[in-house]
Amino acid sequence: MPKSKAPANQTLIEQLKLQVGNISTRIEAQGRNVFGDSNVMSTDEITDFSIEFLELMVTLLDSDDPLDHHRPAFRALQTFFGNISKQILVRGGRMEDFVRYMQFLQRCFIESLGADEQVSPEDMRAILLLLSSVFNELMLAVFQTYLEEKERTIDAQQRELRETSTPITEIWDGVLTLPIIGTLDSSRTLLIMESLLNRISSERAHAVVMDVTGVHTVDSQVSHHMIQMVRAIQLMGATAILTGIRPEIARAMTSLNIDLGNVTTRATLSDGLKEAFRLLGIAVTKA
Amino acid sequence: MNIGGVHLTRIGSGDMLLEPTRALDISDAGALLDSILACLQRERSLRLYYDLAELAVIDAAYFAWLEALARACGAINVRMVCIHMQPTAAFGLASLLRDSPAFETALDMQSRHGEP
Repeated sequence: MPKSKAPANQTLIEQLKLQVGNISTRIEAQGRNVFGDSNVMSTDEITDFSIEFLELMVTLLDSDDPLDHHRPAFRALQTFFGNISKQILVRGGRMEDFVRYMQFLQRCFIESLGADEQVSPEDMRAILLLLSSVFNELMLAVFQTYLEEKERTIDAQQRELRETSTPITEIWDGVLTLPIIGTLDSSRTLLIMESLLNRISSERAHAVVMDVTGVHTVDSQVSHHMIQMVRAIQLMGATAILTGIRPEIARAMTSLNIDLGNVTTRATLSDGLKEAFRLLGIAVTKA
Repeated sequence: MNIGGVHLTRIGSGDMLLEPTRALDISDAGALLDSILACLQRERSLRLYYDLAELAVIDAAYFAWLEALARACGAINVRMVCIHMQPTAAFGLASLLRDSPAFETALDMQSRHGEP
């Protein structure tokens, strides 16, 4: 047997239906006030938002248990607010403005009830509890979306930074250069190795000049990653040439017992390129 | 010529190409080594190209097989050069290795790094 709806919900639905025009006008006016100037939402979008929001709200209150977060009606409202907040973020809007707007929506409902003297104090209390519970959940959904979007942006920026900080260039037929700047951690090493080995395979590179002039510190992990990269290059059948090892890096590697015996090293990138050309039998002369 | 899971082809004076097939069983490495080395000696080979093009991953067991074959080849004065190693295989093997491998590597047979 279906559950009968709570009187508080029924009162709220009735109030909503009675004052839908007034509430909708207020919501739209405030929406234009908050978002209109910044072009985050157009006037038509604000109107659509207002209509859809009120429809979803009525559907939620009309359901058996409006506070059950797993019900489709609640999910629909959560998704609706999640999508709107995503849209606002993408367009450069401030989440703070949207949350304040949500607080305004809640206030609109409460104020519309205040105008009706027939609503009993018990019903009023129940409605306030219901509204605060629903809006708290919606705000959580909005913040969840905000955090997810921020994380996605940070991930994308980090990925882009990693890719641009290790540009692999084919400087000559069969010769790749890889300037390494900053430090080498495991994730960065994996990323460099993956793209470098694929480039060796696709470009049929015979020599890779790895310039570490931009590496200022080296510890056992960094040196291990460097050796691992050199080994992988050699396994592919190419020659790895390590250039730009600073005196302090050389000293650190010696104290770490890192053996560079099997690695071709040169002082500068220019010397490394000369060595690569020599290996390939290329002579560069003045015209 | 076919020897249990490998295909050996003479590709020039002193050069042989070894192409492993899916039937290669490295668990019986001893007998396989004997057959390959006998073939290399019969053909008076000086260099063996081991084609790794079909191997996306080289695990510890397969690496041990490659090492054993390279050392055995060295004992009969044959250089073993692994060619066409896939990026994924090189990536995995680099983290597995502690020292330089017993075999040489080259991009392909035309690569000048495979030249004596």
